[in-house]
Amino acid sequence: MDYSNLRRQAASMKKSLFDQGYLDEQFCQVEDLQDEASPNFAEEVVTLFFKDSAKLISNVEQALEKYPKDFNRWDAYMQQLKGSCSSIGASRMKSECMSFRDYCGQGNVEGCMRSFQKVKREHGALRQKLEAYFQLLRQAGQLVLLELPPGPGCKN
Amino acid sequence: MLLGAAARMEEKGAITGRQRDQFPVGMRVLAVDDDPVCLKVLETLLRRCQYHVTTTNQAITALKLLRENRDMFDLVISDVHMPDMDGFKLLELVGLEMDLPVIMLSVNGETKSVMKGITHGACDYLLKPVRVEELRNIWQHVVRRKFSKRERSNLDIYKDFNKLPSTDPCHSHNQIIAGACDQSGRISKKRKEMHSDEEDDGEENDFQESDEPSAAKKPRVVWSIELHRKFVAAVNQLGIDKAVPKRILELMNVEKLTRENVASHLQKYRLYLKRLSAVASQQASIVAAFGGRDPSFLHMGAFEGLQSYQPFAPCAALSSFSPHGLLGRTSAATFGVPELAPAMTVQTATNNGIISHCAGDANKFQLSGLQENQQANLGQGSTTSLGLPQLQQKWIQQETNDLSAFFSGSALANTLSGALQRVTSSPLPPQELLESAQTKVSAQPPITMPSVSSELVERTVGVSANLQDSSISQQGALPINDGFTADKLQLHDPFDSTGGTRFSVNMLVCPSGSITASSNTKGGASSCSTVLLAPDTGRHPNYLQFGVAGNSRHDMNEIKQDHLHQGLSTGSFNHNFGACMTEQTNPNVPYLMPQMKPNTMASEDKLKQRNIYDLGIPKLHGGFSSSSCNFDGLLNSMIKAEKDDLSFTDNDLGCDFFPLGACI
Repeated sequence: MDYSNLRRQAASMKKSLFDQGYLDEQFCQVEDLQDEASPNFAEEVVTLFFKDSAKLISNVEQALEKYPKDFNRWDAYMQQLKGSCSSIGASRMKSECMSFRDYCGQGNVEGCMRSFQKVKREHGALRQKLEAYFQLLRQAGQLVLLELPPGPGCKN
Repeated sequence: MLLGAAARMEEKGAITGRQRDQFPVGMRVLAVDDDPVCLKVLETLLRRCQYHVTTTNQAITALKLLRENRDMFDLVISDVHMPDMDGFKLLELVGLEMDLPVIMLSVNGETKSVMKGITHGACDYLLKPVRVEELRNIWQHVVRRKFSKRERSNLDIYKDFNKLPSTDPCHSHNQIIAGACDQSGRISKKRKEMHSDEEDDGEENDFQESDEPSAAKKPRVVWSIELHRKFVAAVNQLGIDKAVPKRILELMNVEKLTRENVASHLQKYRLYLKRLSAVASQQASIVAAFGGRDPSFLHMGAFEGLQSYQPFAPCAALSSFSPHGLLGRTSAATFGVPELAPAMTVQTATNNGIISHCAGDANKFQLSGLQENQQANLGQGSTTSLGLPQLQQKWIQQETNDLSAFFSGSALANTLSGALQRVTSSPLPPQELLESAQTKVSAQPPITMPSVSSELVERTVGVSANLQDSSISQQGALPINDGFTADKLQLHDPFDSTGGTRFSVNMLVCPSGSITASSNTKGGASSCSTVLLAPDTGRHPNYLQFGVAGNSRHDMNEIKQDHLHQGLSTGSFNHNFGACMTEQTNPNVPYLMPQMKPNTMASEDKLKQRNIYDLGIPKLHGGFSSSSCNFDGLLNSMIKAEKDDLSFTDNDLGCDFFPLGACI
């Protein structure tokens, strides 16, 4: 297997994720936390993120239906989601969360609904991309990212 | 022996023992966050910094862990938004009970949130996502806290500390501080400012031998209400200027209490009084700023505060000295409540007497303070809502909730309820007010209401914060505002992690006016220890919440000031306090009340009274209406006393209370 090729692909995929704003610096921090003790830390965290965020998104969805105009509640749920996003560096998703919260602050139901749809879209998109990324890493035999040179977007 | 001690430490510390020797490596952190992703990342980041990390996603679990063994952790990091308990509440509780540094984490970096964190006692506030660089330095908070505590401990403790040979000052600090600080009540000035001061929950007095070399933990001296009361009595007896630990100790005549214990307690007490006076002056300035609206506002505050604070007033008052006392205090509070305790007695020790007294004073002040017809009837309960009512109501509710929440954690909840009930059953007229208030309060679920509490806490914090900051020169101890006012603040105080503020707030809230008056600078004046940190402190945003009412209050205050200057405060205080003082030993509100009653208020006064209430008394006052007559009586007596005594300038503060202020 041409690991170096796969590695290059993975690196380039990561670069594009950064360039397109899906990920930010925080993701680098997460990857940095990988070490011998936790070689797959980044993937573990990301997996955990998607699991948890799916739940949070469904909470928001329910709240939007069950508690019309309960902006405080909506905002509270979204804030949780935003926190998660920021922890792994899910940048675009985080922006959408913030915009949702802004609409809540304005009491704009329509805006909230629209924004929420965007949040879901970003969530789905990011999940797809990161799954592909980690898949590639695995294929490259490099889930232990120590070997992968810091990708573009990471400041190391 | 050192080896033995070290060996014990090692065993105790187990795995982390060795690590702690290399502080900050191995610093034990408890991380709390309901978000699993954040928690996982945080945990790993902390481990990367070589800390020893324990995580939990529930605040309740965290509290439990901390309570089980206070020494298990050096630092707590907590998220602000958690489902089972508000992060700020957790912060307060941790600061209050365990005196550990707490760092808040949040996605929300708005100034007001950060402010809230700080005022609740957080030693730092980090924004998510947290970076490893930020975490590398958090150990400084641990060291800083220990360091400041150490400085504050008395000499003996310090000596002990130095005696203990340890390569790692922090490490030995742990031990020494644990013991030493306990001895001094682990109250550092800083903490005092931020948290409720004393410690632990309502234990009975545990005395410790201060002379024992400390390698192991010593039982702390717990400044219970009783003990504090004796202390205050002794201080008053000696006169604040002459109150030296040795003499105080002699007067107190408590077994196993050492001079050092008293010395450190005295130090705190002095700081507390100083803070009160600072708050008072601040209030005065705020009042000035606001211009004169109605005193009613003040009253309202008083009322409200009283209501809800009643049970807490004592607590609050005491809290600064003994955090744990809050628990113990609750019972004291109960005394206060029946007492009509509008006055959050500063002294706290003498809750009962003072409280009732204060109430009276409050009334008095109101009457006098109010320029014209502003005096809302305390008793009248004319609840013409000013608009504040809601606010106040809310406050009270919040307070209750807050208090409930606060206490729920501990066993205080019951006491609190009990206190509330007691208030209800109190026969004193003002009590009626209280009762109604209490009922109202009681009605609210006394059980923890974290969400509400947090809000309340928020408010409180705001208030407390203000109070804290305000440099009240007045000492306006007397709760001029019927003792009810400012209570809001007071109540909050206890909960406020900024214990110091708490304390002062509870002081009988005197309308700022009164406070101003007293701020005659003289110690006596200020001795009114009850600082009325009325919500007048417009400084804090939360205060502003209190509404515009604040404005009116301020105005009131100004007005009041004039009146107060008329010696109202001093004169009456003397009068009242005197009564109070004697009362110290038992809740004698009834005792005081009768005194007041005989005085009949001039019709004008009555009118004034009425006005006050009309102006600002919120619905709460409505509750009071039934007892209004009594209050009126009280007010009357106050006024009369005032008239009799017009010697404000000189602070013939015969009242023992004043000396307290003089301490400052």
